[in-house]
Amino acid sequence: MSEKPISEKPKSKDLSKKITKEYMDEAFHAHELGKLVGYTTAISPVELFVAHDIVPIYPENHAVACLTSRMGTELSTATENLGYTSHLCAYARSDLGYRETGKTATGGIPDPDVLMACNAQCFTLTKWFQVLSRRRNVPMFVFDTPEWIMNKKAREEIIKYCVLELKELIKWLEEITKKKFDYDRLKEVMKYSAQASVLYKKFLDMAQYKPSPISIFDALIGMAITVYRRGTPECVDYYQTLCDEIQAKVDQGIGVLQNEKYRLYWENLPVWFKFSDHAKLLGSFGGVILTSLYVHAWSFDFDLNKDPLLTLAENYLNRFSNSTLEDRADMAMDLFKRYDMNGMIMFMNRSCKAVSFAVPTLKDVLTKRTGLPALVFESDMGDPRFYSETQIRTRIEAYFETLDRLRA
Amino acid sequence: MWESLDLSKVIDYAKDPYASIREWKRASGKKVVGSTLADVPEEVIYAYDALPVTLLGTHRPLKKAPSLLPDNACSLARSNLELALSYEGDLFDGFVLPQVCDTTQHMCDIWRINFPDKYVESILLPRQINRESARYWAREEIERLISSLGDWSGKRITDADLKESVKLHNENKRLLKELYEIKRKAPATLSNKALFSLIKLSMQVDKKEFNQTLKKIKENLTIKEGSGYTDVILTGIACDPPEIFDLFDEIKLNVVMDTLVTGQRYLDGMVDEDVAPIDAMTARHFKRGFYSPIHDDVFKNVEGLKALYKQYNAKAIIYVHIEFCESEEYDLPDLKKAIKQEGIPIHVLVTEYQTLSLSHVRTRLQAFFESLKGGTL
Repeated sequence: MSEKPISEKPKSKDLSKKITKEYMDEAFHAHELGKLVGYTTAISPVELFVAHDIVPIYPENHAVACLTSRMGTELSTATENLGYTSHLCAYARSDLGYRETGKTATGGIPDPDVLMACNAQCFTLTKWFQVLSRRRNVPMFVFDTPEWIMNKKAREEIIKYCVLELKELIKWLEEITKKKFDYDRLKEVMKYSAQASVLYKKFLDMAQYKPSPISIFDALIGMAITVYRRGTPECVDYYQTLCDEIQAKVDQGIGVLQNEKYRLYWENLPVWFKFSDHAKLLGSFGGVILTSLYVHAWSFDFDLNKDPLLTLAENYLNRFSNSTLEDRADMAMDLFKRYDMNGMIMFMNRSCKAVSFAVPTLKDVLTKRTGLPALVFESDMGDPRFYSETQIRTRIEAYFETLDRLRA
Repeated sequence: MWESLDLSKVIDYAKDPYASIREWKRASGKKVVGSTLADVPEEVIYAYDALPVTLLGTHRPLKKAPSLLPDNACSLARSNLELALSYEGDLFDGFVLPQVCDTTQHMCDIWRINFPDKYVESILLPRQINRESARYWAREEIERLISSLGDWSGKRITDADLKESVKLHNENKRLLKELYEIKRKAPATLSNKALFSLIKLSMQVDKKEFNQTLKKIKENLTIKEGSGYTDVILTGIACDPPEIFDLFDEIKLNVVMDTLVTGQRYLDGMVDEDVAPIDAMTARHFKRGFYSPIHDDVFKNVEGLKALYKQYNAKAIIYVHIEFCESEEYDLPDLKKAIKQEGIPIHVLVTEYQTLSLSHVRTRLQAFFESLKGGTL
C-alpha cells in the first residue's frame, strides 16, 4: 500500500513559519529593540539568554539550512581555502564559508554581540566559537559540563560546579549588559521551557503508535522550534498545535507507511542533504526510522519546584552526548522497548567526532542487548564529498535483505 | 632498572619502554597505571606506590583500534588504544584517562568497556581556566582521583606521602631543566633526540631510579658548543615519531625552547613544595602554558611564542601538528597568520603517529631552513 498524502496544509507548519519569521526579525533588529544578539550552542542553558533579553542565535541551525540545501561543498571549499581542513565539523565549515562568501540558503544570521558555548554536546563548538570570538573581538563564555559519569557523589559535585558556572554566566551577562538579572523572569522562562519540553517529548513519543504517524524526518523538522525558541509562550503553542495534529492522524490510523515492516532506530545526526532520499529509499523497503537519541536531546525534564539554576544544570548535564556510553546505551534501549523497534542504523558521521567515536562501541553493546543486526555506514552529515551514493544504497539494500531473512 | 642508563639506552627505552617496565613490575611487584595526555597528576598515582606511565602510542601496526576509532580520529588516541588492546594491555593494572577534546570525550567509556577487568577512571579537569569555578573544580577532580585510587588499591595516603611524591617529581623536572639549559647553550653536547628522549622516558618510568640516571648523565657530559646551529622554538602537543628529532639533528637545528605537552609544558608542571599538596597541584593546573584543546586564547599563545622567540634569539618557530587533532586545526590558521604578521618564520610540520616514512617531512624541513638561511623566505 502506498503512503497516504495529507492534503490539507498543517497548521503547525504555518505557525512554525510565523514564529521563525518573527524570531529572525527580532534578531536582525535586536539593537533597535535594546537587545543583544548572543550566539549559543543548540544544547545550552539558553533560558538565561531569553530571560536577559539576549536574542539567541544558533549558527548550527543556519548551517543545517545551508547543508540541507546542498551548499555543503561550496561553503566548505571556501573555508578550506582559508587554511582550515576538511576534517572539521561541516556546520563549522559551512558557517565560516558563509561568513567568507556571504552565501546562504536563508537570509543569513546577524553577527554576535556575545558568545556562549556549552560543551555538553561537543568541544568543536567551543573551538568554532573561539574562531568567531577572535575575528570579531566578541566576549565568549564557556559553560563547561564535565561528563555525567556514573558516580552519585561525583554527580553532586559536577552539579555544584555547573551551578557555580551559571552564576558566573549571569554575572558576566550583567557586566556586559549593565543590567541586573531578573530571577522572576527566569522562572517564567523556565515555565515555558518546561511546558514546551513536555509537549515536544509527547510529539516524539507518538512514534510509539503502530503505524507510526511520524518518522524521524518529521521529528527533525519538528524539533527546530524547541531548539531556537524554547523559553517562550509561542514555543508552547507550537508544540500543542503539532501534538493535536499528530493525534488527529493517530485517531484516523494514518501512518507514515501503512505497511510498516521495519521500525528503525537511527544513531547520530542525520545526513542533512539526503533527508528525503533516505526517507523514500527506506520506505520502499517498508522501513521507517522512528527516532534517535539526537532528537530526544531537547526532551528536557525541568523541575519547576527546584532552584532554576539547579534544574538547568541537571538537565544540560545529562544529555545523551554528555552521558557515558553505558547510560547512552540504556537511553537507546529505553527507546527500543517503548517504540518496539526491530532494526538500527548506526551512522558514523565524520563531522561529529564527539558523537561518532562512541558509535562502534555503542553498536556492539546495542546489538548484544537487542539481538538485532545493525547497519553501520560512514559519511558526513553535510559534505557530499564524503557521501558514496552507490555504496550506501547497496548497504541499505543488503541490510533489509538480512532483516527479511531473519523475519522469514 | 633505570638508575644507570647511558644516553643510547635512554633513546632505545624512550622508543619502547614497555619491556623494561614489565621487568620492573616483575621485580617490584608494584602496580602500573597508564594515563593519556594531558595533565593527569602523576604524583597522586605514585603516592599510591604505583607506577604512573604516560601512554604515548606504539609504532607497531594498528590491528584492533581501527574498528573502535575511525581513521579521522587523532592518531595518538588510536595508537594508545592499540597499544593497550594488542600489545601491552596485560602490563597495566589500570588507566586514568582525561577528557580534553572531542576525541577523548568518550575515551574513558571505550576503555572501560574494553577492559572490564581493569581499573579505569576518568579525570575531568576544567576546560575553562579563567574563572574561580575552574579552581574549585580542578581541586574536586584531584580529590576524586585520590579517593578513587584509594578505593581501588585499598590504601590510604597522607599529605606526607603526596609531598614525598611531589618532591621526587619536582627533582626529575629540575634535573631535566638543567640538561635542557646545557643543550640550549651548547647544542653539540646533547642532541635534540637525546633531550626529548630523556623527557619522554621520565614520563614513563620510576623517577626515583631515573633521577639517578639524569644526575650521572649530567655529570658525565662533555660540553661542546658546536657551530652552525640554527636555534628554533618548537610548539604543538607532542612530536612523534622520534625520528623527527633525528631530522632536526641532521640539519643542525637546536631546539632552544618548546611548548610541547611532552616537553617544556611537562617541565613547567613543578608543584610548590611549600603549600599543601592538593592546593599546590590545583594551582599547577593554572600555571601551565598554552595547550590547544583547553585554553581559549590563540593570541595569548602567539604572544607567548613571540616572547620565547625573542628571549632565546631563535630564528624560527616549528609547529608540530598531529593530523586530525581538531583543536589544533581550529587554532592553526589564525596562529600561523598572526606569527607571520609578526615577521617570525614559522614552519608547520604535519605528522601522525604510526607514520612510517618521513621523506616528505625531511624535504619540506630542508627547503624551509635552506630558504631561511638564504634569506629568501
